[in-house]
Amino acid sequence: MALAAAWGLAGLLLLLAGLSLFQRDLWRACEAFVAFALLMALAWLLLGAPWLALAETLLGALLTGGSLLWTLRGRGALPRLAPVDETARRARFSAPLRWLLILGWLGLTGLALVWLLGPEALTPPRSTSTLLAATGVPIMGLGLWAFAAQRHLLRRLLAFNLLGSGVFLLLGGLAAPAAAATAEVRALILIGLMIALLGSVLGAALLLRLHAQAGQVTLNPLFKARSNAGSGSGMAPGSGMISTR
Amino acid sequence: MSATPFHLLWLLGAPLALGLLAWVRPPRHSGLVLLVGLPLPLVAVWLLLGLEKGPMAGRLALGPLMLHWRFDGLAALLLLLTQLLLLASALYATDYARATRLGRHAYAGLWPLLGGLALGLGLIWIAADLLLLYAGLELMGLCAVGLMLLPGSNAALSAGLRYLLFALVGSLAWLLGIALLLGAGGRLDLAGLAALTEPEPVIRIALALLTSGLLLKAAIFPLHSWLAPVHGSAWTPVSAIHGALVVKAAFFILLLLWRALLPKAIAGAWALGALGSLAVLWGGLQAARAAGLKQLVAWSTVGQLGYLMLAFPLLAGTGADVATMAWQATWLQLGGHALAKAALFMAAGNLVLATGADRLTALTGTSRRLPLAWMTFGLAAVTLMGLPPSAGFTAKWLWLQAALTAGQWPWVVVLALGTLLSAIYVFRVLRCAFVETGPEGDPEPALKPALKPEPGLGPALKQEPRPKPELKPGPELKPGPKPELKPGPKPAPELRPASGQKPALEPRRPPLGMELVALALALAALALGLAAAWPLALLPAVASPPAGVR
Repeated sequence: MALAAAWGLAGLLLLLAGLSLFQRDLWRACEAFVAFALLMALAWLLLGAPWLALAETLLGALLTGGSLLWTLRGRGALPRLAPVDETARRARFSAPLRWLLILGWLGLTGLALVWLLGPEALTPPRSTSTLLAATGVPIMGLGLWAFAAQRHLLRRLLAFNLLGSGVFLLLGGLAAPAAAATAEVRALILIGLMIALLGSVLGAALLLRLHAQAGQVTLNPLFKARSNAGSGSGMAPGSGMISTR
Repeated sequence: MSATPFHLLWLLGAPLALGLLAWVRPPRHSGLVLLVGLPLPLVAVWLLLGLEKGPMAGRLALGPLMLHWRFDGLAALLLLLTQLLLLASALYATDYARATRLGRHAYAGLWPLLGGLALGLGLIWIAADLLLLYAGLELMGLCAVGLMLLPGSNAALSAGLRYLLFALVGSLAWLLGIALLLGAGGRLDLAGLAALTEPEPVIRIALALLTSGLLLKAAIFPLHSWLAPVHGSAWTPVSAIHGALVVKAAFFILLLLWRALLPKAIAGAWALGALGSLAVLWGGLQAARAAGLKQLVAWSTVGQLGYLMLAFPLLAGTGADVATMAWQATWLQLGGHALAKAALFMAAGNLVLATGADRLTALTGTSRRLPLAWMTFGLAAVTLMGLPPSAGFTAKWLWLQAALTAGQWPWVVVLALGTLLSAIYVFRVLRCAFVETGPEGDPEPALKPALKPEPGLGPALKQEPRPKPELKPGPELKPGPKPELKPGPKPAPELRPASGQKPALEPRRPPLGMELVALALALAALALGLAAAWPLALLPAVASPPAGVR
């Protein structure tokens, strides 16, 4: 029964992760992230860590998700970001080094998992913790891909948060059998959640400042946002497509 | 196992408490900062002297959590270095705030972030488990990002955001490595991990992930791209503490982990040494090409960090004498470079402040008007280049000896080339100072022609940025004013490019306090070379196990 629930949960997690990365409407993407964080809290409950579930709800869903949503509906002096992401993705094969890093990251993790779990790793997992740890890998993959391929900074913050969630799942799932270090593992995840929160809040605030001062929503000043307020983009609409790295 | 030393806890927490206090009421005078801050290095010295009885180690229980710490000679020395540099940076910052009229809120924000940075660094120096290391690393990283963002300009925001993204991804790679180690061994303390040998492939993979995260944070060669832009726009005291300590902390953890987990992994250690060699060459080349003074200093950090990476191949699987020499050289280089780099950043900041421009061309002929700043720059550069009385020289000498004894000749070549490159970029700057007839008529491009040739053409070309008919040989190259040799003192305005926003003025002298702090640090780097025996005697032996209690 618990395993069936875990399968359902894993599927939903993957679905929402994909939604929050591929949705062009940024508001919906952030909403999908909030839902994803709430499901993560459920996953912690399944792994028997109610305090972590509470922390995930509070830090992950409420504060991190809230701060990301706030960049889209910010009031006051700062203009909000355009709701639809119109920056071009980076050319797919523009940076072989980046792809090497992504594949290396995933490949190494997969290899280590196979080694740790033995032949069981290649069959459908039978315990909740293994299943959730295994779910962490594709989520990390999605996050890494989006982090490398996207230019919009809000999307990269989302991708970072998803990548982090994947790592936390792997950490929680792998360490669950080793009962000796449970408190340490939870402390690690808690610190990780706080870092993700602080990083997201700082990143979101910076993004808004950058947008207000220079009309930028990417790290590259050439890719100006075409916000609905029309703030400072003197560029032709198509010029954002030119790859200038 | 020792009882929890409360003076150690006090020393860790005090900077943060002082920082929060200064946030509420930012100090206006450096005298006050000196008075309040001076006890911190003194306590660090007291702790260091208290270590005669041997290293301390212990566990701290926080509810169900068990935190492992250790406190040996190395940790005490690094703690002392941290407190000294922090004090210097704080002293510099008060004068800097007045001289450059920093925004009130931004200036107030400097203090708690500096305090948090000190706490994070302190945790890293004493940590003996991965949890504490993680907490310290993240605290330090976030505070460093915050410090870099304080100027608030577009360039600072953009560079800071890039730094933030890099740091965050680096910390996730680190966390993933920890997850795999936990899956393999189920514990986090370094002593327990050092005893862990099975399953070896998983440990290797975990260490590879941990290493990549740390290389990102330490700005080692292929992952260094965030460093130079971030320094270009940061405040001088922040740049000083960042270049001196923050990147070194990541290196410290890296060395700690490799020695605990895979002390005999020769291939991996050679790979790290090769990355370091590339960093030395690439950082040196970029510094030799840099057009701005702060950029040049930042690129030289990339190069100097590369030297530290030579520790890995020389420590892994070599004989006891080689390992001892490499071990001592590493820490000596770390300390010497930390002091010298802070001094160099401060001297560069003073020069930029005095001339009002960051470009090297704007420095032309300022040596007579800013003798103190140039003397500091020269003294700090002595350590960077590794000329005799400095810590840099002793460290390089030890490395050379170790590499020759071990028969690892590639590092000898790297050391020689690196020294040559650093001499090139240092003398390129000093030349700008002493050449009297600068870019008259053609403002910007005095250096541009030299920058045009492809980078592949090698350093030889860069030695000649422009024809030098007016450069007098001999006496002019010494620091110090020699007006009687000149045909007649030319006023500065004609020498400086007209493109600056401000009307060209006589370079105004930076406040004396700023110059003295920088000079003191540069002299300390030299003194460390002269009195290297004392800190080296306090270092733990290279063969001693890296961690405390089981």
